Amino acid sequence: MTDVAATGGFTVEVDQNSYLPVDATRVDAIVTVTATDGAAGPAPASEVLEVIVIDCSTSMTGSKIRAARQATVAAISELRDGVSFAVVAGNHVARQVFPQHGTAVAGDGSRSSAIRLVERLQADGGTGIGNWLMHVGGLARAHPGSIKHAILLTDGQNGESAQYFTNALDSVLGAFTCDCRGVGTDWRVDELRTIATAMLGTVDIVADPADLAADFRSIMGEAMGKSVADLALRLWTPRGATVRFVKQVAPTVEDLTGRRTEAARQSGDYPLGSWGAESRDYHLAIEVPAGGVGDEMLAGRISVVRPGSGDLPEQVLGQGLVTAIWTEDSGLSTRISRGVAHYTGQAELAEAIQEGLAARKAGDEPTATARLGRAVALATASGNDGTARLLEKVVDVVDAPSGTVRLRKVVADVDEMTLDTRSTRTVRVRGDG
Amino acid sequence: MTEHVSPPAAACPRCREAVDDHRFCENCGLDLWLRRGGAARPPSGPCPGCGANGTRTVNGFGVDEAGEDYCGTCGLRRSDGTEHVEADLGPVAGVSDRGLYHVRNEDAMAVGVLAGPGAQPLVAAVVCDGVSSVDAPELASRAGADAALERLLHPGGATMRKAVEEAADMVAALADGSHGTFRNPPSCTLVAALVDPGTDDGAENAENGPAITVGWVGDSRVYWLAAPDAAEPARLLTVDHSWAVEMIAAGVLDAETAMADRRAHAITRWLGAGGEPEPEVMTLRPAGPGLLLLCTDGLWNYLPRAEDLAEVALPVLARGGPAAVARALTALALDAGGRDNITVVAVPVVPRTRGGSE
Repeated sequence: MTDVAATGGFTVEVDQNSYLPVDATRVDAIVTVTATDGAAGPAPASEVLEVIVIDCSTSMTGSKIRAARQATVAAISELRDGVSFAVVAGNHVARQVFPQHGTAVAGDGSRSSAIRLVERLQADGGTGIGNWLMHVGGLARAHPGSIKHAILLTDGQNGESAQYFTNALDSVLGAFTCDCRGVGTDWRVDELRTIATAMLGTVDIVADPADLAADFRSIMGEAMGKSVADLALRLWTPRGATVRFVKQVAPTVEDLTGRRTEAARQSGDYPLGSWGAESRDYHLAIEVPAGGVGDEMLAGRISVVRPGSGDLPEQVLGQGLVTAIWTEDSGLSTRISRGVAHYTGQAELAEAIQEGLAARKAGDEPTATARLGRAVALATASGNDGTARLLEKVVDVVDAPSGTVRLRKVVADVDEMTLDTRSTRTVRVRGDG
Repeated sequence: MTEHVSPPAAACPRCREAVDDHRFCENCGLDLWLRRGGAARPPSGPCPGCGANGTRTVNGFGVDEAGEDYCGTCGLRRSDGTEHVEADLGPVAGVSDRGLYHVRNEDAMAVGVLAGPGAQPLVAAVVCDGVSSVDAPELASRAGADAALERLLHPGGATMRKAVEEAADMVAALADGSHGTFRNPPSCTLVAALVDPGTDDGAENAENGPAITVGWVGDSRVYWLAAPDAAEPARLLTVDHSWAVEMIAAGVLDAETAMADRRAHAITRWLGAGGEPEPEVMTLRPAGPGLLLLCTDGLWNYLPRAEDLAEVALPVLARGGPAAVARALTALALDAGGRDNITVVAVPVVPRTRGGSE
């Protein structure tokens, strides 16, 4: 059921049941991509760009801007010597805080200069997140080949028109990865989730401004550990096959299906962003032409690809195979891979939460009860205790295994937003590392 | 002009140099007395699935760790020829078939005949069954069968134990990294038989007749097949190294209870990582003619009794020789369901009578 290949610094493990009943055409597999020791060391500092974007709109006034200043100082202190960095203050436009233009190289002097300027930040003006992103995009373009990462902090809703924002986001796709944080409870989860998903980053809520510094420190620590930029998952499929979906399913659910760019013959590339000492799981579903009994077909070849840059050619860092074998033995073809079953449930869990919360907002209580009840059942069955605990703040659980719940009359905004934001977090199959 | 005229010299099949009665070609070193069979021939030509000419992917991988190759257009696994293999060397013949349920043939056979000019041939046969629950079992069975045959017909002579030991070493060596990384390194069963024609002094006693040596590890079997009234009656010569058989032999469980256990058919000895490759060896000087049959459980699961196998095999042997027997028994296993890979090797054994025999 599992096939491991280790080559250029990445292992690609495939968990699937290769056996299909006669005439079946859908192949599901869970692919685990892991950087091996050789590839997991931090990249040279000269190949890293970090940008911190702080919302300085009027709504940040008071404890939030104070916490944001402290958090930014904490993040700057985490910068490794030699890393390029910039700090940007965002209101209706983006303004460079440090350096005045472009980026600086981290060292004792530049870090203290940046900190001095950050400590003077004041809150004033509107919120133009599209502008902020385009500004970071401009900085990133001056660092081709580097690992480019931004932290974006906001406390409110974007004031730009939807069209303007969408165009801005499209213009920076792939230019850098972006971890988004919402402080307080006046920001929109769907807005930040859209950015984080598009920019291959994370999204989270920091309800209490006092927790911001610790959070920034950990984001920056994570970012400083990245070793390779701009990886892609290349999927070769046989002639006549259709890729139904390619989803990241751990540590969070992210649908990459629409992010495909055509690569070599019969292949497409899905962006993975930058990678450190980490492991992620992907769920692939491929529709292949049916084979005859006893035929074995390569339904997909997965390669982890590092794009060429300058005079460096493209590199394949690891590879795994998804196969399909047609059999009349129903004992073989009816087995479901544990990984596929588990992650199908985790993806459904994220959907059920988001649909349930949307229904609750719209006042559709029967749908909200049904969907959140389903989420409770899925979270319980799969051992996703973190999500189960968050659900308990939004519904009263009558019977977890069957998903029998009652909506709570009063739910704190912070609990609802936390559940929404973290709905895509998954757990790995029990019994696996 | 010399006083006598030599017969026209034969030519070495490999280098075409003239050869004499020596075992090895003086020019290229080929063993001229040894004939081998049982290996698969990978088919060449365009992909049978889509007609595309074979491509190897350009990314430097192309094949996975098990050396498997897929068509770069339609993804169909490119056959390695093991789906159905036949070998017929005259005194020994075999068939190895994928069966109807398995994707790959994880069985392997190696057969060989060593015959000097005018001498009775020494015949060796090896059958291996790859363990399905490990990685790349087909590599294990191929390596094990080849290594054991190599030793059994080695110019330096051989013992059965040495042959099995070398086969076990070769299978264990598959896990050295040269075939990629394995979670569960390849392993297989092995059964081998060596039929020594014996001395030819015209005396009619079994002591001078053919001697059969059988060695085995795991649950592949050797049967002696003969007519119901034969001097040397039909019987199973090997004892499976399997959980049920060992439980019964140890007196721990009765046959019914042991065979009903889900562990009944689990093998207790095998070649390869973590296995117990210690062979059992038995010898037999048959008192009369018969047929030596080596097979994997793909056949004997359907027809475990020696008498039943003899009833099918002997009439076919009389009509068509060992190759016909191997084909007929393979067909029988396929007709019965073909749930496993099937390998059958047949070696007729005829004690010589006064006046000699072929």
